[in-house]
Amino acid sequence: MELLPQAVTDGVMLGAIYITIAVAFSLVYGVMHVIDFAVGEWIMFGAFAGFYLNRATGIDPFALLPAVFVVFAALGWVLQPLIQRVLSGKRGNPLLMGLVFTFGLSLMFRGLAQTFFGFYSLSTPSRLSNGSFFFEKGRFFLTVSHVRLAGLAYAIAITAALQYLLKHTDFGLGVRALAQHKDAAGLMGVNNRRTSAFVYAIYVGISAMTGVLIGTIFSVSAKMGPEYTIFAFFVVVLAGMGYLAGVPAAAFLLGIIQSLFLIYLDPGYTLLAVFGVLYLILLASPTGLFRKGV
Amino acid sequence: MKGRRLLASLAVAALLAALPAVLRDTFLLRVATEALMWIGLAVAFDVLAGYTGYLNFGHSAFFGIGAYATAILMARAGWPFAPAAAAGGVVAAAAAVVAGIPTLRLRGAYFAIATWALSRGIQQLALMMTVTGGPDGMRLPPFLHPQFFYYVMLAVVAVTFFALWFLLERAPFGLKLKAIREDEQGAKALGLNPTLLKIQAFVLSAVPTAVIGGVFAYWVTFIDPASALGDLVSDQALVMVVFGGMGTLIGPVLGAVLIFAFKTLFWAYLAEYEVLYVIILGAAIAASVVFLPNGVLGARLRRGFPRRPLPSAGPPAPLAAGKLEA
Repeated sequence: MELLPQAVTDGVMLGAIYITIAVAFSLVYGVMHVIDFAVGEWIMFGAFAGFYLNRATGIDPFALLPAVFVVFAALGWVLQPLIQRVLSGKRGNPLLMGLVFTFGLSLMFRGLAQTFFGFYSLSTPSRLSNGSFFFEKGRFFLTVSHVRLAGLAYAIAITAALQYLLKHTDFGLGVRALAQHKDAAGLMGVNNRRTSAFVYAIYVGISAMTGVLIGTIFSVSAKMGPEYTIFAFFVVVLAGMGYLAGVPAAAFLLGIIQSLFLIYLDPGYTLLAVFGVLYLILLASPTGLFRKGV
Repeated sequence: MKGRRLLASLAVAALLAALPAVLRDTFLLRVATEALMWIGLAVAFDVLAGYTGYLNFGHSAFFGIGAYATAILMARAGWPFAPAAAAGGVVAAAAAVVAGIPTLRLRGAYFAIATWALSRGIQQLALMMTVTGGPDGMRLPPFLHPQFFYYVMLAVVAVTFFALWFLLERAPFGLKLKAIREDEQGAKALGLNPTLLKIQAFVLSAVPTAVIGGVFAYWVTFIDPASALGDLVSDQALVMVVFGGMGTLIGPVLGAVLIFAFKTLFWAYLAEYEVLYVIILGAAIAASVVFLPNGVLGARLRRGFPRRPLPSAGPPAPLAAGKLEA
């Protein structure tokens, strides 16, 4: 019982990180109708970029975030037309093909990462890594490390920026229009290809930045990808597919489940628990927690 | 045409039945047995992927469920092999129904990741439980008889292939599944029950996979979570089906033979580059989606028999109108 506030706080901070992954992931689904299986691999590549850039230049990983964003957004921009090509054209079942394609990419990325980065688990050092705030009241106590707090601040900043982009810019209006109806948006002058490429670029950039943070707060390894792909998916399904406003609640739920398991039960069962919760919620409400999904 | 096809099937059957007499070398017989195994796994994978339009990344989970059920019943309960393998199929059918009810409500992509999460969860379960031996795996009573396993595998794969051929290509069931693949709402409007049909397809795919898993466990006499429940079964079945040609029965067979031949050569000459194989597998999946959307078979059909319509080359399914509310 003494550990409960700690578990919930850790869960909230973990959930905040998941929000940044899931919002971008959900955005790509809304616009391109493709589930990117490689989301965990983008996070992994971002984490390694943070690790090696930090080692080469000595710059704090938090200061590296903009550079990582630019590089990975450019990568996403270059890759997106290929995915677009798979999704369009005269092939049967384009959605399934898109999925198979990104799955192949993720397998290739993971193999490449294991070849070049090895099998070891690493961690990116930050100036914030050592400090922490400590609270105590009666039997309860709470430790909040600076780096996790910075992660929370990052998550809030990213979510706010995306919210602004979607709701208050012409670009965001185009994105929302595309998600609603592709052809009608095209007739209104929204450039489908360019907007989709931008959305995909933003998504890859954000995933990579989040990867840098995950590498600082937790660890970096070539095999970390699938876990985050499953978590991203969990949050998006739980929130209701394409329902962005549901993402935070679902992400916090996942974070809290995970940290409760870590403290009270066997962490080896986390994925089983995640699947169990997902199973029960989908059984009760197939369109997510808020019954607002597609 | 019909007589020729029958003659060809009989020739293939005779060849497969006589193979152990020709292949004196145990290694080659082992390769042949494994090739049969992958043919069975790929064909079973295609029931959901090609015919129904759902990617099942939990294929390895059902393979592992069959392997573990057979191993536990044989090593811990002392059952003979045949009922143990059959029980593995029953367990897998039950697992498919239980897992399918909520997850098959999810559209395409989400089903794929949900089954992936399921397979990882089951892998964790096998690692943590004592009855499965945890990370140390399980040993089965050894039975070293390569010819026996060749014929058992042949029998299981042949029964699977012909049962699926009848259900998917001759009975209305296959058409119903294709209707779901092309337009689920439309299928519903025609009075079909998509959820029930999808669960039936899921079971139809899971049972042979699990029985093959059971044969595999008894054959190799040792299973652990990495070998029986790892992602390789799903990944490789996917490559075989996509590369060979989705939505047909011959496509996966062709894909399985080609990819397995490549795998065997790769492991024979480049075994130290284990990771390279994964890279090539991934690149092969991505490349065949871009360049061979209908697989090797589709590319061949287009050139050889222009009159025959391609199995999965209908007009692209209309995209579901998405919602983005922030």
